[in-house]
Amino acid sequence: MALALFLRSSARLQALPNLSRCVQFAPSSTSRPFSHLVQQLNKNPISATKSKVNVIATRGMSADHSKLWPIEKAVSIALLGLVPASIITPNPILDNLLAVAVVAHFHWGLEACVIDYIRPIIFGPVIPKLALGLLYLVSAATLGGLLYYNHNCIGIGCTAF
Amino acid sequence: MALIFRLSGKRFGQQMLITDKSGLFNFVRPVTLKAKPALSEKEEGHDERNMRLKRPQSPHLTIYAPQLTSMLSITHRFTGMALSAYAIALGLGAVVLPESIPHYIEELECAEIGSSCISAIKFILAFPITYHFWNGIRHLLWDAGKFLTIREVYITGYVMLALAISSAIALSAM
Repeated sequence: MALALFLRSSARLQALPNLSRCVQFAPSSTSRPFSHLVQQLNKNPISATKSKVNVIATRGMSADHSKLWPIEKAVSIALLGLVPASIITPNPILDNLLAVAVVAHFHWGLEACVIDYIRPIIFGPVIPKLALGLLYLVSAATLGGLLYYNHNCIGIGCTAF
Repeated sequence: MALIFRLSGKRFGQQMLITDKSGLFNFVRPVTLKAKPALSEKEEGHDERNMRLKRPQSPHLTIYAPQLTSMLSITHRFTGMALSAYAIALGLGAVVLPESIPHYIEELECAEIGSSCISAIKFILAFPITYHFWNGIRHLLWDAGKFLTIREVYITGYVMLALAISSAIALSAM
């Protein structure tokens, strides 16, 4: 293709010596753009792999998960301490923290379940989106309910005990 | 051949088309190649693609023998879902139910269903918590890159099961 391009431009010039020179130089000039690209890739291997990961992530159901993941794990670790602590020493602060952490934790867990099981290939394109919306509603309502319970009643810790 | 047409095309193509009697140049015209950036592939999920291609779903759970590893993993998810249901029931129940939650707990304790039955109910409530708690630690250790050989996965699996069942029994006896 590049060869044809050169030939065409040389036809415009209508000079045979020029044509022969272009043909001579053609191989070097065709290889230049590609080698240039390769060099750039080698220079930034991290960005190259990163963009590849992004492509894979957007092709799946969820978006880039690399920032949320550490937060999810931090909440999980926090729950390991919060659950026993709020049962052993029930108090309003721990109860409210537990309510928020539990709701966040089960929301992410159920979100994974919804995405895994309520899939477009089985339920069609609409129901999975509705299910995810419903999950957001339920999670928000539960958070509100648990906080209400902590303020107006005995609290989560006491109930569990 | 192509070279001749290309060479002639730019300069003489127009004149030749006018003077052409045989109609040959209506078919053989000078072609201009234009470089365009490649169109990015349409964003399509795994399921959407398979739906478009009308592919059937491959069998998954039914073709594997049950193993400790897979069963513990499924139970982890199942207990998580059960715990979510408990949390949702408590959260929504606190708002929706006419009486307060402790009232219902007292009613349940006063109802004459026997202490063993109460313990069974407590075990049903406690086991998902203990299981998800201990297996959650196991999962977090895997996330940290520890205990990932098959042997270690089985050992931690049995240890976790023992801890979960014993702590659930301890909680339900309280």
